[in-house]
Amino acid sequence: MTRTSEFARRYGIVLIFVALCLGIGAVCQYKVISGQWPENSFTTADNFLLILYQVSVNGILAIGMTLVILSGGIDLSVGSVLAFAGMFAASFATGSEEATRWSGGYPAAVPVVAALVAGAACGALNGWVVARFRIQPFIATLGMLLAARGFTMALTGGNPISNLSPGLRWFGAGRALGIPIPVVLLAVVFAVSWVVLRKTVFGRRIYAVGGNEASARASGIKTARVKIMVYAISGFLAGLEGIVLTAKTGSAQTNAGSSYELDAIAAAVIGGSSMSGGVGGVSGTLFGALIMGVINNGLDILGVESYYQLIVKGALIVGAVALDVSRRRAEN
Amino acid sequence: MGKMSRRTAALVAVAGFASGARAARKPRIAVLMYGNKAEFVQLMQRYGKQHPAVTGGLAEITFYDGRYDAAVQNDQAQLAINSKADAIVVNPMDFEANIEVVKKAKAAHIPVIVTNARLNTQEMTAEVASDDVLGGYLEAKNVLQKFGCKGNVVIIEGPKGGSGEIQRGQGNMRAIGECPAGAVKILERKTANWSRAEAMDLMQNWLSRHRGAIQGVIAQNDEMALGAIEAIKSAGLKMSGFAIAGIDGVTDALVSVKRGEMASILQDARAQMQASIDVALRAVLGPGYKPLSPIWKQYAGSLEWNDGQSKRYAIPWTVVTPANADSLLQGRK
Repeated sequence: MTRTSEFARRYGIVLIFVALCLGIGAVCQYKVISGQWPENSFTTADNFLLILYQVSVNGILAIGMTLVILSGGIDLSVGSVLAFAGMFAASFATGSEEATRWSGGYPAAVPVVAALVAGAACGALNGWVVARFRIQPFIATLGMLLAARGFTMALTGGNPISNLSPGLRWFGAGRALGIPIPVVLLAVVFAVSWVVLRKTVFGRRIYAVGGNEASARASGIKTARVKIMVYAISGFLAGLEGIVLTAKTGSAQTNAGSSYELDAIAAAVIGGSSMSGGVGGVSGTLFGALIMGVINNGLDILGVESYYQLIVKGALIVGAVALDVSRRRAEN
Repeated sequence: MGKMSRRTAALVAVAGFASGARAARKPRIAVLMYGNKAEFVQLMQRYGKQHPAVTGGLAEITFYDGRYDAAVQNDQAQLAINSKADAIVVNPMDFEANIEVVKKAKAAHIPVIVTNARLNTQEMTAEVASDDVLGGYLEAKNVLQKFGCKGNVVIIEGPKGGSGEIQRGQGNMRAIGECPAGAVKILERKTANWSRAEAMDLMQNWLSRHRGAIQGVIAQNDEMALGAIEAIKSAGLKMSGFAIAGIDGVTDALVSVKRGEMASILQDARAQMQASIDVALRAVLGPGYKPLSPIWKQYAGSLEWNDGQSKRYAIPWTVVTPANADSLLQGRK
């Protein structure tokens, strides 16, 4: 492999991200220079913080998705598990309807722990079904996609839960050192998952299981345990985002997170993770999510119709996979 | 054969109802809802079950979940016919694709009432809906009045091409058109697909783009208006700087109206569903049937029963104000 293509492989995603930002920034700057706009509202620190805030949910789901994809699987259930965990959390964090300010009930830790446990349990169940019964991950998690949505509706008979406690709202609306909490969570989840994948035995085992399951098993790796773990982590992170999305919008809704799994898969794939497992990482995924966020934010700011946003995203996903396929052909 | 037995069953039902003594089969009404994940549809279902004819044991009601898919709804119409429903009430997913439901019911000789949304046909027994153009007009008017018809607005639209987006959008434009030419500027208009989370992202991006320039937010439903409110709050801006309105009257919106953050135009889920059931029962049971829902009394003067024979029942909108929000919230419990 030549050095330029090696460079493109490692940093291609970053280049695309930078090019996209520069491109949108340049168009905005042109509008300012030509007197159409009073200011360039895209290339500001506030706007980039906003983009991070907006990608935090998809970013964290996509990191969980990446672990699953690296192990050779897929998790279609994250959107539904998010909704279930969010509704479950909210049911411990709502006050009476008359109260303008929440009073009484449980401290914030209770709904948070409830959501994380619920999410991790759904994920572990996914992993167990995949590992124990050798059901294709696509099918197993499709089952969870339907079931978790059903459970979400069953919890409240389909009604939303609102009037949430300030403690829970903090996870969506709060700030630490001026940084919104969802962004802090994204940074923490990214850092931890990066270290786990790069520096731990468990991380190497995920790659091994996804790369070649038979030889991983032959070399003594308990593949079932690894699988259950990655699905449980994906579910745990979906539970975390159930809290964050509920806290952001101030309401747990039965249709929350619908089709979020597709955005999470898209971010992982754009970020260079191979759907056949064993190749990729969370850095690429983070930039994959950022690219999708910049497209949404930038095209909203430029006033481009939403149809074109879908077209651009679709082209990016297919382009990223085409790149991945041709790269592996070159390697073999 | 199938048709005969169903007609006979209906006749027996009429006789049973008229005499009030004989044990006849209760009329069965199949209600085809386009989905069941939003609060509004949930409310419609709840009020359907609370219809006096249902609670009093005079009629049976079965709900079908169309799973947001027009094709599924068409299949469910057939299912309802096969399981000998006496009438169909449909809350259609699609303006065109669900005309099939009406055709199937016609072919099976059972009455079909279209509720809540519209279908592009005149073949149905009756339509029971609120006029979306009027709803869009009322909400926009409410926003524009707050800043005296002079300023900048953004419009958050429903799913593109849906009858809600088209008709509420027409109403929005009519209200804006009544302001002096050029006095109101539409800075942006884009869809957030009825979703609070999507509307929040969209509004944040617009606040970034048009800093300090947006005075009015016309959201074509309440969920999106609530998303805009979250965006404004998360940007650290004062709610008093914005006039915001939505449509539907979902519970969170009523609470928000009470706080003075927005206006909402209530779409009366109870009246839509219960009027539909009364019209359906009248069609099944014949001229002897008197409507049982309290909504006819509630809207006396603005909504005529007309012996259940009207082609179209326009359920009035209610403008929610801090004054009536409380009593509406009480009714939700």
